[in-house]
Amino acid sequence: MMLGSLARFWHKGWITELYVKPSFYFTYQGFEWVRPLGYTGMHLLFAGMALAALLITLGLFYRLACVLFFLTFTYVELIDSTNYLNHYYFISLISFLLIWLPANHYFALDVTFKRQHPINSVPRWMVGTIRLQVGLVYFFAGIAKLNGDWLLRALPMKIWLPAKSHLLLVGPLMYETWVAYLFSWFGALYDLFIVFFLLHRKTRPAAYFLVLVFHLATALFFPSIGVFPYVMILSSLVFFSSAFHQRFLATIQRTGLFRIAKLNSPALPFKPRANQFLLTIIGIFFFLQVLIPFRFLLYPGSLFWHEEGFRFSWRVMLMEKSGNVFFYVKEPGTGKTYEVNNREYLSPLQEKMMSTQPDMILRFAHFLAETYQQEGIKEPAVYAECYVALNGRRSRLFIDPTVNLAQQSLSWRHYSWVLPYQKSE
Amino acid sequence: MNLSGKKTWLGLIAAVMLFVIACSEGDKTEAVPDNGFDKTAMLTNYADNLIIPAYAGMEQKLAALESAVNTFLATPTTETQQALKPIFKEAYLQFQRISVYQLGPAETLLLNNFLNTFPADAALIENNISNNTYNLEVNAATKQQGFPALDYLLFSDQALQKLDQPTGPNRKKYVQDILARMKALVNTVHANWNNTYRAQFIANTRADVGSPIGFLVNQFAYELDQLKGPRIGWPYGKQSGGTLFPEKSEAYYGGFSGSLAVENLTSLKKAYTGNESGKGISDYLIALKKEQLNTDVLRQFDLTIDKLKAIPDPLAASFTSHKDLVDAAYREVQNLLTLMKTDVASATGVRITYQDSDGD
Repeated sequence: MMLGSLARFWHKGWITELYVKPSFYFTYQGFEWVRPLGYTGMHLLFAGMALAALLITLGLFYRLACVLFFLTFTYVELIDSTNYLNHYYFISLISFLLIWLPANHYFALDVTFKRQHPINSVPRWMVGTIRLQVGLVYFFAGIAKLNGDWLLRALPMKIWLPAKSHLLLVGPLMYETWVAYLFSWFGALYDLFIVFFLLHRKTRPAAYFLVLVFHLATALFFPSIGVFPYVMILSSLVFFSSAFHQRFLATIQRTGLFRIAKLNSPALPFKPRANQFLLTIIGIFFFLQVLIPFRFLLYPGSLFWHEEGFRFSWRVMLMEKSGNVFFYVKEPGTGKTYEVNNREYLSPLQEKMMSTQPDMILRFAHFLAETYQQEGIKEPAVYAECYVALNGRRSRLFIDPTVNLAQQSLSWRHYSWVLPYQKSE
Repeated sequence: MNLSGKKTWLGLIAAVMLFVIACSEGDKTEAVPDNGFDKTAMLTNYADNLIIPAYAGMEQKLAALESAVNTFLATPTTETQQALKPIFKEAYLQFQRISVYQLGPAETLLLNNFLNTFPADAALIENNISNNTYNLEVNAATKQQGFPALDYLLFSDQALQKLDQPTGPNRKKYVQDILARMKALVNTVHANWNNTYRAQFIANTRADVGSPIGFLVNQFAYELDQLKGPRIGWPYGKQSGGTLFPEKSEAYYGGFSGSLAVENLTSLKKAYTGNESGKGISDYLIALKKEQLNTDVLRQFDLTIDKLKAIPDPLAASFTSHKDLVDAAYREVQNLLTLMKTDVASATGVRITYQDSDGD
């Protein structure tokens, strides 16, 4: 027997999450059908998102708020793939799941205002879906770490750790090879197995202690990953028992705003058919969730190099990749070549993200063809000279410089104009 | 899962951990013992032997320039103009030695932007002179001051003639105001380094965005980007389908853009090696076991400097008469930039995040 209130507590994480968002406002680069809505539009969108998050937390107009939050958040996320982050994707998914769950029936204003019947128990699968989602994130992050560079060569840890030698006490250790291996292996084992320990009642407190240690350590060592550790720390609380959450909620109850459902409240008043419909949706959802991270298997070539099937797969902090790309626009009629100043069009972050990701390079190439055509260049051909260094290895030519990218189309297929990965130093 | 199953799991994990530790210990015996790298000593070297002396040098050269300019303005003739030019060139060369260190107080004041945003905007400058009102302190005024403005005011074809016109006194005052502002900016940065920033700089051994090490690696890439773009590529017509803009080159009127480019890159190499003191970013790379990369970077520096030196000064003329030499140098600058922006940045775990700015 689990309580519907479990999910709500952990929305608190989203509120802090919202404080971090403003960096979004500054990075628009919409080549997809989703476009930024301009200054005022974006601010309204974020205001709507904040309101929705607040309503979800309070449990007021819950379902409407969930839909609103899911739509606004996902919309913003889709504007620019520069800003793709695994935990944004995670939040999108969770908010989608919450639309279908009755998390407004226990410790919620919807109950206080008699908009919903109080319920104090939900079918186990409802909490299970959230747990499964959190579990999938960890497990796939673990699987992603099972590769030669991570396990056998401790890359990219070997690169990242010496940059942290300023840290108190542990600083000097950062140059040690064995420390890099320890971090790599501990990270992989943690991701793979933590969920199982969280699920088991007896190991749960110890496992949660590990969650705290692990994520606080990552927050300390890699501040650039932002709120991700905190999101996971709070999300993992969903594994705790209903009694634990009830104790927590009881302390909040003193505000008098919320009413906790009485124990003799009826069980969830779902019709069997509606229940089945829900289960089908959530079943399909998880089926896709399990398949999507494995789609990289359909592509030939190195995953890290080509990044085909890389996103939406819980590959977190896995590689050190830097690139540098020059674009040349050629006019076949006159033979003239125009070298592009990328920063005329892109923010430094966008340029950086683009320089290692083929689909972004292609999008930008198409944009350039369009732009130069408007400026009077006839049939512009776009070529890229791009060098990429992966996991501290020497940089290599990334894109075939003889291919006219203006004539290559975006697709889900393998891009043949991305040169194969050469591993040798 | 029953209890014994769980114990098995724990046992397995413990075994794996021990195995890993054993493995990596084994690895260590093969590798060169690594005692870390003294980042504080490196930063101290940069502060005391490179950056602060460069600002002191800039102050001296500007003082010398000021007195030479005053002599010239008192009696503007072809002779005094010719006598002024080498002193102006000396000061401009010294600027190339501080250019790469745009971090800390220099970054706050936008020192490079105010000292060397080229080409200068002649129309705005003429406007300022005829109106005799201007504010050089706003960010929008970067193209109306600094070395490029002096270059235009002192050495353009009609410089002497214009000093003779009724607006002559205004013009002289404008030159002196520009110089005073340049001196004030450099003095402020220099004093800041001496007073408080030096201590902050050497104490911060992080490598993240905004840290000295992060800044240095970023500035190496940024300077190379400037060399490739505003200093050579843009006036050479790289972005404009071959249409030349020689007047956009650095020190166009003084006619020594080539020397400035060579000095810029030579200073950059000096910054990269920490003046070959054993305490530079190059040595940090060696400590990170990237000897080969470091060797390649140094070789690429030397090659590129040679190719730049091969182009006769001024670049503006060579853009037409020595295209092959310009192309060759441009190619090598680009290769060096790629090494810096991908290989070196990747090896040091530094993110290239520099922001855009017009010209230098």
